[in-house]
Amino acid sequence: MFDKILIANRGEIALRILRAAKELGIATVAVHSTADAEAMHVKLADESVCIGPPAARDSYLNIPALLSACEITGADAIHPGYGFLSENARFAEILAEHNIGFIGPKAEHIRIMGDKIEAKRTALALGIPCVPGSEGGIDNDEQAIRVAREIGFPVLVKAAAGGGGRGMKVARTEADLLNALHTAKQEAKAAFGDDAVYLEKYLEKPRHIEIQILGDGKGNAIHLGERDCSLQRRHQKVLEESPSPALNAEQRAEIGEICAAAMRKLQYSGAGTIEFLYEDGRFYFIEMNTRIQVEHPVTEMITGIDLVNEQIRIAAGSPLSITQEDVRFEGAAIECRVNAEHPATFRPSPGKIAYYHPPGGLGVRVDSAVYQGYTIPPNYDSLVGKLIVHGRNRTEALMRLRRALDEFIVDGIDTTLPLFRTLVRNGDVQNGDYDIHWLEKFLATGGMDSE
Amino acid sequence: MKKPVKKTKAVAARAPKANAKKTITKPAPKKAAKAAAKPAPKRGPISGVNPALIEMVAEIVSRLDLSEVEVEREGLRVRVARQLGNAQTFSVAAPAHQAPAAVVAPPPASVATAPAAAPAADHSGAVKSPMVGTAYFRPSPDAKPFIEVGSKVKEGQKLLLIEAMKTFNEIVAPRGGTVTAILVEDGEPVEYGQSMLVIE
Repeated sequence: MFDKILIANRGEIALRILRAAKELGIATVAVHSTADAEAMHVKLADESVCIGPPAARDSYLNIPALLSACEITGADAIHPGYGFLSENARFAEILAEHNIGFIGPKAEHIRIMGDKIEAKRTALALGIPCVPGSEGGIDNDEQAIRVAREIGFPVLVKAAAGGGGRGMKVARTEADLLNALHTAKQEAKAAFGDDAVYLEKYLEKPRHIEIQILGDGKGNAIHLGERDCSLQRRHQKVLEESPSPALNAEQRAEIGEICAAAMRKLQYSGAGTIEFLYEDGRFYFIEMNTRIQVEHPVTEMITGIDLVNEQIRIAAGSPLSITQEDVRFEGAAIECRVNAEHPATFRPSPGKIAYYHPPGGLGVRVDSAVYQGYTIPPNYDSLVGKLIVHGRNRTEALMRLRRALDEFIVDGIDTTLPLFRTLVRNGDVQNGDYDIHWLEKFLATGGMDSE
Repeated sequence: MKKPVKKTKAVAARAPKANAKKTITKPAPKKAAKAAAKPAPKRGPISGVNPALIEMVAEIVSRLDLSEVEVEREGLRVRVARQLGNAQTFSVAAPAHQAPAAVVAPPPASVATAPAAAPAADHSGAVKSPMVGTAYFRPSPDAKPFIEVGSKVKEGQKLLLIEAMKTFNEIVAPRGGTVTAILVEDGEPVEYGQSMLVIE
């Protein structure tokens, strides 16, 4: 087991990692930029090292600084959290070269799943159902038109180096296609440095359903059920829940086993999430995230399994703490990502939190690193914290969420709490009757106009 | 930079407060960061106290590389401790592999942010580290240091080396002047933005 973990991240996930490390009796090192000197996890860690100025490129993405910080503190492992370097295969390789543990999957798997064309090819080979589309990248206009005719319009042009909803263009007719193709390539080159694109069938009203998996790196893997993350704005998840209102136990077991079997074949190590679009009873693979995800607490609440603890133990060579037969799904859980943004305009609102009172009580969990008097820096994402509730069933979870949201006070900055208070009182949300376009339609048609 | 409590003590060199941690006299460990020795502040005479005694004890602490010494003589007890750069005032959990000690983490709003290592750390003439690494004031272990307190330096003159991942980086003077304070020791780890010396 590791003696000392360096947390190469910030905010709520850094605190999450710190908590898991402490519970395992492992010493903690918090690295931070100058903007994060007052962060909660920095205060709580055993050691801290300032690694650079506010810009992520010079601090949280600064590999030499991270390695140096390991050297001077004697840390023997790094947990990369999510974002930043968590899906950087080269970083994982560099750590291996320096004999520093990387709490994440093998570099090879990060690389495969980071290239969306390669990921899809691999998924197909592993028996995971995919969206109909081009077999590989699109090399010329004639091929684009031919493939689009085969799979049927509307189609989506997607950047191979994209992901997380970035680098996609819809084409509804042949007339649109070439324009969408060329624009997508240009934008991909600018944003990701790689203009490789592929085509997929565009699904009109799918849900986003993802499967959490854990692998021990030696051929054993299990699934921990699904999360429905359909409520999104600009491809960013806003609210997640489990179980999905759209699935029954049979469907869950079937898609879960397909994913677990694939991970066994791959000999995947650590935590990962396989993301699908789900429409008319069918699952379509879109991508795999080879890291812990923001919404992991939803799965923790219904299974009782500490996913970050599993990550650390797996990376240190231990087997999984549980078998598939022993995994239980109890009740329902819902998570709200509370951001420092205006609830209707979503204008960012960094600044000092003058008054902070998080909700509590049975089945209420707040994963947040803010505190009263803390100033949210403007340099990073705007996540204030995550509110997660659990109930014995979805109705109880919704009532608990409504109650918890009403107790939650964050003064001094704008937050999206009013958005969630509105959503939890909305009929479609209460019925679980939504798809990935629902939230944007709701906002565009004045759902928050009274704010 | 916060360092682990088991390696260096964070005890203020002043009269014990109600929540002062228990003091144990032991030598500071050879590895890891050593606290910068702080000269005893100049104050007026305190009745009944011999300043020479305090200076002597402080010199012993510094010379023998101790973190703290307590002397009792004729009913007067003197305790001199070296203050670590970023002293935090709350206790931290025991290091890994020991039975967890009671951890006192005060409510965040009332955590006393550490006083700077010395007033010099915030000085406008402070030269701050541009990187994470280990500071060396000599080109090699037996050589003379590049500079000392009192050295006159020109802009661009080599002040120290910071080593990271086996690569040595030269840190040069941003302006000319006199070195009035050196705030880190030879071989001490430094973090980004840490004040290492003062040029006035």
